Amino acid sequence: MALKLNPHVAAAAASPSRKLASFAMPPVANVGLRSPRFFMASTLRSDSREVENSKKPFMPPREVHVQVTHSLPPQKIEIFKSMEDWADKNILVHLKPVEKCWQAQDFLPDPASDGFEEQVRELRERAKEIPDDYFVVLVGDMVTEEALPTYQTMLNTLDGVRDETGASLTPWAIWTRAWTAEENRHGDLLNKYLYLSGRVDMRQIEKTIQYLIGSGMDPRTENNPYLGFIYTSFQERATFISHGNTARLAKEHGDVKLAQICGTIASDEKRHETAYTKIVEKLFDIDPNGTVSAFADMMRKKISMPAHLMFDGRDDNLFEHFSAVAQRLGVYTAKDYADILEFLVGRWKVEELTGLSAEGRKAQEYVCTLPPRIRRLEERAQGRAKEGSIVPFSWIFDRKLKL
Amino acid sequence: MAAAAGAAPARASFALRQAQVPVGKISNVRSVSLPIGGRSFPSLKARRFQVSCAAKPATVDKVCQIVRKQLALPDDATVTGDSKFANLGADSLDTVEIVMGLEEEFGISVEEESAQSITTVQEAADMIEKLIEKK
Repeated sequence: MALKLNPHVAAAAASPSRKLASFAMPPVANVGLRSPRFFMASTLRSDSREVENSKKPFMPPREVHVQVTHSLPPQKIEIFKSMEDWADKNILVHLKPVEKCWQAQDFLPDPASDGFEEQVRELRERAKEIPDDYFVVLVGDMVTEEALPTYQTMLNTLDGVRDETGASLTPWAIWTRAWTAEENRHGDLLNKYLYLSGRVDMRQIEKTIQYLIGSGMDPRTENNPYLGFIYTSFQERATFISHGNTARLAKEHGDVKLAQICGTIASDEKRHETAYTKIVEKLFDIDPNGTVSAFADMMRKKISMPAHLMFDGRDDNLFEHFSAVAQRLGVYTAKDYADILEFLVGRWKVEELTGLSAEGRKAQEYVCTLPPRIRRLEERAQGRAKEGSIVPFSWIFDRKLKL
Repeated sequence: MAAAAGAAPARASFALRQAQVPVGKISNVRSVSLPIGGRSFPSLKARRFQVSCAAKPATVDKVCQIVRKQLALPDDATVTGDSKFANLGADSLDTVEIVMGLEEEFGISVEEESAQSITTVQEAADMIEKLIEKK
């Protein structure tokens, strides 16, 4: 297992005090271990206030954990080669042929039509009725989607399944490119909607996207496809839940078209979740010990959100703030994190695994008992949660929101 | 396996708690003069060197019990005042649950900042007694 110490990270690791790592949970400002958002992402900052000498102004956050690479033993890479036929028959079927796919234009005013301006006016009228906090969450989701280059990159870091040439014809590579192409429409659609809505500061949003793509992310999958596909399984379900909630809220605010937009994106995510969970299910069949250990490993490290390094040039704790609002609105919460974990434990029948090694049994036990622990933590902390502070969001022209 | 939080080092008000003066040793000492902040303290109790913030043995024992339970440690595992949670195998979630267990057991409420500064059994016990005193 090659340990590559990123020089930035090494410097950050020396910093005397750090906030919590970013996890796939919406965070709250001033979060510590004890708050309801223990599992929620607090942006891990290398250039936190405590590191006085190396802090430059307006620096986006960086990953502070040591970045580990190639943790999959070389002999296991074979597994993915031997799975190629299976993947061809069982995974690629979850892709939709392009001719059958929706496109962003299907949900937006038609610029080639005489009715374009009227359609835009109607869109803006509906958007006026939707509150700022919803838009902040929608923007956060859109920024996450727009950082797609990072996710395609992440898939191509995985040993055994990466696209070696950019046009490789292995089922894995075909999947990755097609998945990327499908996801690409999500950012496009949300971008155009937000642009037309007039409710948000597009320049600040665009800046945020540029920073985020520049920052990348390390989900701690260590070039290991076991870890990688467990991570993506979790994430696809998380985005499915999140977009499903923004759809529901849009409807509540009277914008049926926006609800359709979010709902359509959510249904893509569901299809992707099906594919990734199927891959991991197959891995559980082939290598139950390795896979259950990988599952426990990812959960111990905690699932970090793809956009946890987001920065808009102004707010050092942007991701924390965004996530706090998402939690408050019920778009994505600590409870969702526990639910997703529980779902995956059930989906992969982890409780029923038998014949595991001692290490496998420990991993199984850890993973199976984790959801109630998280829930208990969340319940207790909710009871003690303090009143949220009020912070400005540059995405809405520095208007303020309660966290 | 990450302990997610980089815990801030415990800020002990007495030099006693720094690495040079292991608590374990002191408990065997009947009387000790230690320069602390320029002054010397005679030991106050025969059994252990007691500084005003050091916890009663009963408290320390209770903490050990809770830690053992949380981490499902085998009976032969050593847990003492200077045992570090991390060294006993506690991850960040375990540490939070240990603090929660202490809250329940002692009927106290632990502040965010205090909770994050606890890394050993002794520190937990000391904090508990301080909080009990305040009540």
